[in-house]
Amino acid sequence: MAADTATTGRRSADLEPTAAKRLSAWLRGYTPVPGIPDELFDTMRRPRGDWLSFLGDFAEYPDSEFKSRFELATRHIRDTGVSYRIYGEENERSWPLNPLPLILGKREWEQIAAGVEQRARLIEALLQDLYGEASLVADGHLPAAAVTGSPDFIPALRGVKPPGGRYMQLYAADLGRGPDGRWWVLDDRTQAPSGAGYALENRLVLSRAYPNLYNAMNVKRLAPFFDGFRRGLAATAERADPRICLLTPGPFSETYFEQAHLARYLGFLLVEGDDLIARDGKVYVRTVAGLKRADVILRRVDADFIDPLELNGASHLGTPGMLEAIRAGGVAVLNMPGSGVAESKALLGFLPKLCRQLLGQDLLMPNVATWWCGQPVERELVERNFDSLAISPAFNVQGDDGAPSGPRLMADLSPQERAEVRAQLADRPGDFVGQEVVRLSTMPVLRDGRLEPAPFVLRVYATWTPDGLKIMPGGFCRTSEQLDVRAISMGENARTADVWVIDDKPVERVSLLASQDDVKVRRILGHLPSRAADNLFWLGRYLERAEATLRLARSLCTSLMDSESAAHAGGETLACLQHLLIDWGALDEAKLGAAALESARDALHDQAAYGSVIYLVRAARRTASTMRERLSADFWALLLNLENDLNEGAQAPLSEAEALQQVESALQLLAALAGLAQENMNRGAGWRFLDMGRRLERGINTCRITRTFAHDEATTDDLDLLLDLADSQITYRARYLVGMALTPVRDMVMLDPFNTRSLAFQVDTLKEHLAALPSLLDDGMLEEPKRILLPLAAEVETADAAHLTAARMQAFERTLLKLSSAVADRYFLQGAHAVPTVKLGGLA
Amino acid sequence: MIYALRHRTIYSYEEPVTFARCVLRLTPRTSATQTVLANAITVSPWPASTSNGTGPFGEKTRTVVIDTPHAKLVIDAASRVDVHAPPPPDPRQSEPWERVRGESFSSRSLGPEGPAAFLYPTRRTRPVASITDYARRSFATGRPIVEAAAELMTRIHDDFRYDPEATTVGTPTEEAFTQRHGVCQDFAHVMIAGLKGLGLPAAYVSGYLRTIPPPGKPRLAGADATHAWVSIWCGEVQGWIGFDPTNAILVANDHIVLAVGRDYSDVAPIDGIILAPGIQTLKVEVDVVPEDAVAAQPDAADRSGRLSA
Repeated sequence: MAADTATTGRRSADLEPTAAKRLSAWLRGYTPVPGIPDELFDTMRRPRGDWLSFLGDFAEYPDSEFKSRFELATRHIRDTGVSYRIYGEENERSWPLNPLPLILGKREWEQIAAGVEQRARLIEALLQDLYGEASLVADGHLPAAAVTGSPDFIPALRGVKPPGGRYMQLYAADLGRGPDGRWWVLDDRTQAPSGAGYALENRLVLSRAYPNLYNAMNVKRLAPFFDGFRRGLAATAERADPRICLLTPGPFSETYFEQAHLARYLGFLLVEGDDLIARDGKVYVRTVAGLKRADVILRRVDADFIDPLELNGASHLGTPGMLEAIRAGGVAVLNMPGSGVAESKALLGFLPKLCRQLLGQDLLMPNVATWWCGQPVERELVERNFDSLAISPAFNVQGDDGAPSGPRLMADLSPQERAEVRAQLADRPGDFVGQEVVRLSTMPVLRDGRLEPAPFVLRVYATWTPDGLKIMPGGFCRTSEQLDVRAISMGENARTADVWVIDDKPVERVSLLASQDDVKVRRILGHLPSRAADNLFWLGRYLERAEATLRLARSLCTSLMDSESAAHAGGETLACLQHLLIDWGALDEAKLGAAALESARDALHDQAAYGSVIYLVRAARRTASTMRERLSADFWALLLNLENDLNEGAQAPLSEAEALQQVESALQLLAALAGLAQENMNRGAGWRFLDMGRRLERGINTCRITRTFAHDEATTDDLDLLLDLADSQITYRARYLVGMALTPVRDMVMLDPFNTRSLAFQVDTLKEHLAALPSLLDDGMLEEPKRILLPLAAEVETADAAHLTAARMQAFERTLLKLSSAVADRYFLQGAHAVPTVKLGGLA
Repeated sequence: MIYALRHRTIYSYEEPVTFARCVLRLTPRTSATQTVLANAITVSPWPASTSNGTGPFGEKTRTVVIDTPHAKLVIDAASRVDVHAPPPPDPRQSEPWERVRGESFSSRSLGPEGPAAFLYPTRRTRPVASITDYARRSFATGRPIVEAAAELMTRIHDDFRYDPEATTVGTPTEEAFTQRHGVCQDFAHVMIAGLKGLGLPAAYVSGYLRTIPPPGKPRLAGADATHAWVSIWCGEVQGWIGFDPTNAILVANDHIVLAVGRDYSDVAPIDGIILAPGIQTLKVEVDVVPEDAVAAQPDAADRSGRLSA
């Protein structure tokens, strides 16, 4: 397909016969719902030009090619772990994406963009007034009770100037097409609009799936919007080169992936409430190098949870003292806590009047007709037309009593249910709005090779940049699987679609390069938050422990199945291996004396054993999932592969050969992960903590297995096994042609600084890491981890293998465990100097 | 009536606390019916930083940060307050309660002086059907609001058992209601939840109550306690009127207001976050001493028979 043929207005006559056939079959089979506006067909049932030209080109992909292209592209979604989570679910779901984008022509788009821009300005002005002079309320344009009912109206912030000057950095509107074909607003998103990161990801997938189509159709690019968004945030800070943090509720949030993805894409620090501390009217991030100022916070935590001291005292997601810092102007939090008040349905009916009042303009894009029942006239109107309306909560109250929080169609309710709603409305009219019943307009989706209409909601974003208010040319579109829907949540049966805004001239190749003078060259890697250090350290430890356990399992599979050695020493060695596995929690104590194969299987797959390989790998994956923004997509994909392999292996009992195969392939994947960390991670503090975790764990394990197998009465088989476990077989044979002997084996495994598996090597590497990490003490004294490690290093360096007793090795092991606690105390949030926060209690 | 107040709070910890950030609401409220003549708050150990502010409902706050390790935190507040409230209104001379509800929904004030901020549920005053229906029995159609609310107050006083052992600061309002017992805090929350269930604006008031020692006995130092009651917005004309369901009396010169908010969380005299393993014991001592003992004779005790906080 040549690029120049793919402009608008292309006729099916230009198409190849098969493509033309497919296109006409699609169009013939497409039947929108009567009376409901549709994207493909206009009100006269004519296909819109941009859609027709897109579908025409799209029809040229043979079925099989289309499938493989789309599948390949969506595999990227799986591999990068684009996923979302329903609240309360342990597992994430992968992202369901439509193969067809939503196509919006230039004229259409201009209408939308103008409407959304005006609305963003209107709501910003409304927020400025509500938290400022409140003249709209005082002058009677808006009843106070239509504002105070929102849990996001925060009285504590009345009269506080937002530190960046603005309440919103990002605004979003959920749109659909009204019965007359015009676009209208279903909902405003002003608290912390989600989905922009998904829009980016959807774009990435579709532009990869159909690169020619994408390039030829003059699809407007998203990147400039995000660049403006980032610059807009930076401009709210007090100083140049600000530290911008994305405050997340954490990995259990429904949209955690999106937050992590945005943080990585925009170069922001992903933090949770615990990572921050408010002091002296400013907010700081706890990093391994001490407290570092957070200048700007992009907020994804609901306002009520942001400060347990002044707001919801039960919140564990916030930072005590945050509001005070905002009042002091020491941190810009966007959207400003309290912005969510504008999401209330109670306000919808007032917006046309407020728009004239605040902007001196008529509202360009209408919203669904809404009547707030706190006003007598409106309430009467709602009560009169009760059965034909939808009744919704007037405010976003998070009902913990199980009350329905969405709109309810009175026509759908039983007479008794209707009477209940009526009674509630009579007692507390201000809690409710009546709304005109809206059916969502439809867009075409592809199902089993056919084109079908599906209801959709389009979310469009606006952001404030240093160059003014900008609208993202595109958006986050969700479609429903059922045809008759009034509202869509991402929860059930919803899919997403990319949104292509088509320009009538070729789009510029956008370069995101900043102008040369702006950029100062730097080689600083940034400060690692303490939480991330903690997670990386444990990720390293889990992975190393998994590897050690795999080696034990391999020994169970190989040497003991070897009949010769099994015959004379099998029983004893088997017991030793089993004891080690029991100590590490990989094997149940009751299983001592079981057959080697059974123990190997347990060590691999026993889901109940906290030291089994499958358990450790899952722990590693969970830990990694809390800091995806710090790990490469490759690293994550490998880790998922490893877990999937083990899950599959756990399905049925493995034969000896299969068990061995499982162990070998798992070891290879772990080696690949280690290699990736070694070669592809910046040599910053993050890599050091990952590696420290690995080194510490390996050091401890080495001491343990050497004590077990290289005791004073060790047999050659024991030593042979030890060299296997320590992965030092080849090195040993190359160096010592005489065969197995106790002292050289001990020396190689414990003291040889050139053997990357020896204790000495681990200790040396740990020393390097500690030396490179920042020190908090300014009195020139050594910090605790170094105080522990340096004597150990000296002792290991000067030790003599011939006199290396089990007791001595055990002492080394204990020192390493002490070092692990000292590292935690010094660098992590969970350390002794950061005990948990508690609320002062009692009726004081 | 001029009162000398002393409010001393002592937190003792098993393990030393390294860091504490507290918001203190220990300065009595200044209003048309109450004048604060003096107020001094001392905190031990000495705070690393102290800042004064005004909270969302007009309360004076002091935020202190303590970063020296301490096993004991002592907060001492001493005040002199002149209370000069008019006598309570005649309950029958007030607006029908439905009209008050209508007025409060069209109020033009977002602030604490108006009713709008006190119309909606909070975590501790969420209307539930059972409490609303309990309250509804006093609110016949067209009944004057003060009369209806006073009856509700008296019913709570009569139906509920005062029992300091039965509830804690964290007991849900619904539980106190179902069990029909609790302390001033529970009674106030129950009454507010009932009123909100009917769409009426009601606020939570924390403060002190003057107590009368038994005849012939001296007043015991530190024997008083903090108190809580309800304030209802009774229309544009009458404004806010206080109801004390613990003692079944309308509020006048025996009640000293510390702070007003939507529920206990808004007005807790001490709110704090500490870094600690969490084991703490708390001791509170309160003294409410009228400076003019003679003027103290014809008072609340005679009307209600029993006074308890």
